[in-house]
Amino acid sequence: MNPCVKRIAINIGSGYLPGLDLVVAGAALAADGLGWEIVGIRDGYDGLLYPERYPEGGMVTLRPGIAEAAGRGGSLIGTAARTDPFRVRTTNAENQIEEIDHSDDVLEALRKAGVEAMISLVGGSAVTGLHALSVAFKLHRKRLCTVCVPKSVENEIASVQMAFGYNSVLSHTAETLERIRTGAQDVGRLAVVEVPGQYAGWLALQSGMAALADAVLLPEIPYDIVKVANALAARWGEGRPPALVVVAEGARPAASTAVAGPDAGGLRASLTPNADPEFGEGEHVIDRTGAMANSVALALQRLTGRDVLPFSLGHLVRGGVPTAVDRQLGLAYGAGAVRALQSGEDGVLITLQPPDLKSIPLGESLNRIRTIPAQSELIQIARALGIAFGD
Amino acid sequence: MSLSTQYESKPTGRVLNIQHFCTNDGPGIRTTVFLKACSLRCKWCCNPESIHPKPELAFDLKKCIGEKECGLCLKECPESAIYVVDTDGKVRINWDLCTNCGKCVPVCPTEALYEFGHDMTVDEVLAEVEQDAAFYRESGGGITLSGGECTLQPEFCAALLAEAHRRGINTAIETAGNVPWEFFRQVLENTDTVLHDHKLSDPERHKQWVGVDNVRIRANFQRAYETFPDKTFIARTPVIPGVNDDEENIRGVLAFIRPYKNVIDYQLLPYHRYGEGKYGFLGRVYALKDFPSLPAETLRRLQAIIDEAFGRKVITN
Repeated sequence: MNPCVKRIAINIGSGYLPGLDLVVAGAALAADGLGWEIVGIRDGYDGLLYPERYPEGGMVTLRPGIAEAAGRGGSLIGTAARTDPFRVRTTNAENQIEEIDHSDDVLEALRKAGVEAMISLVGGSAVTGLHALSVAFKLHRKRLCTVCVPKSVENEIASVQMAFGYNSVLSHTAETLERIRTGAQDVGRLAVVEVPGQYAGWLALQSGMAALADAVLLPEIPYDIVKVANALAARWGEGRPPALVVVAEGARPAASTAVAGPDAGGLRASLTPNADPEFGEGEHVIDRTGAMANSVALALQRLTGRDVLPFSLGHLVRGGVPTAVDRQLGLAYGAGAVRALQSGEDGVLITLQPPDLKSIPLGESLNRIRTIPAQSELIQIARALGIAFGD
Repeated sequence: MSLSTQYESKPTGRVLNIQHFCTNDGPGIRTTVFLKACSLRCKWCCNPESIHPKPELAFDLKKCIGEKECGLCLKECPESAIYVVDTDGKVRINWDLCTNCGKCVPVCPTEALYEFGHDMTVDEVLAEVEQDAAFYRESGGGITLSGGECTLQPEFCAALLAEAHRRGINTAIETAGNVPWEFFRQVLENTDTVLHDHKLSDPERHKQWVGVDNVRIRANFQRAYETFPDKTFIARTPVIPGVNDDEENIRGVLAFIRPYKNVIDYQLLPYHRYGEGKYGFLGRVYALKDFPSLPAETLRRLQAIIDEAFGRKVITN
């Protein structure tokens, strides 16, 4: 390799969102402009951890021409799903499965390939938090030159006003909610739709506003289900039948109104589930798709006496094609990450601060969640639009 | 680290929990001792806290009283792996940064933070087991070692079971059999009843759902049936919808066990979700979170095949 040519790598450290290949293409275009080589690591870190699985190589050289087909579906280099180089599941010589730290192998493979820096697309999950960001942070601590690009369904990454992919998810969610609302309204029913948002309700609020929801339940504003039912009843009384309640999956009832369930005893009781007659299926369930929609729909049906239909969008919101906003944002984030490396930055996350792209230390977004302030103007505007929060 | 150095040099066993008055873990009323570490990764595992050999942190959000009231764990964590979420003011764990050092556990006043797994000696375990000795005598019960995979701690298990025998306590183990034969043999020497899992008959399907094929497991079971003709073996299958709830699988297990007279029964354990919440406690994702429950009709149909194979009269309504 020409010693003057810088060689960098890019990977998608977490799961799928529409238009991820645009970020990859943006980085490829910017790298080419600098005369750098850029390689894509297949399937997160798998291309380095399991090279034997890739007959054509675990790393693929990215040419600027990939930009022409970008944004039409797929991620080009694959996503990581749940791969974690610090806990790689392996079967040892004694046929025992164990989780081994292979992060040094990842670093060694990059070094052997002449890769001097890494761009990693990072996002979060309801259960594991900002796992991909944490993995990138730990690799950076091991002296891997790292620049991260934020991507998210929930737009909850701290210090990032708009993560890549959120706008597409928002558009797709709002469109689906609109379809559900018009359908439910026409047959005189109320739809309760659960959308992603374990800790932050941006998606529920903004898609709910776009689809003219009657009520939106958020993690940030504990709700009283009776107040929600009363707000809906008032609509019926006014001759404007409500049709849509949007529920973030992390929405929670106010402490004083929470329906008292059996005390499952927590961690100790969880060790001996069959020994505790009060312990039953569902008490500890925190991650079952549609659980919030079902419980809210059931409560509203009881309180209002109307037919209520629960829906859960879940993975559906990840589909579709990227919006124009995400197209330009993805390309910009990819190119911005390369520019950050060119400037000698390391251990940073690229973030949109219109009209600029800025870099912030990875630690600023680690262990923090960007939530909606309950008294924010956005919430006040939603109230002005007639949206009830159940508070 | 090899298994022998990982487990055998320990004078104590790594115990997860001791559960009293168990009625499904062998004959009579039993006390089941759950041991830590497992060599399989069944996607439906209902004891995820038993998988890793070392003690590990768990967190129950419901019990956390929040940063304003407490916040002690935040000061204690050397890895900055604990943080606060604004919406409820309670803490969360960054499981990627947590090293399971356990320093946050003793300062938590509500046991929201808890450590799964602690070391115990043979005498300490038996002191708790013997509390129910009267029930064992009345019911024909005793001690059952379970897990995780109890045979991964062979020296501790062998010593515990031998001492239980010496004190007149009936012994049983629950095992999936994926260990070196010598481990298995050592533990079986002092075991009266062996409850052993046949999760899937087909090696490829076994590998897909459990993580490794079943070749060594079957070899161990076959050798155990032949080496210990006087011990009682009970085969069991946790029946998971869409995974192993087909007749072919059940018939495959029956074909394997029926030639051996010391395999006295084959029991089906219907899939349940009791372990699902524990994945949340441990910051892990439950692979089967949206799986349906097992239809009762499926269980009846599979049970009828077993009853027929064992020559039992099937009562139908």
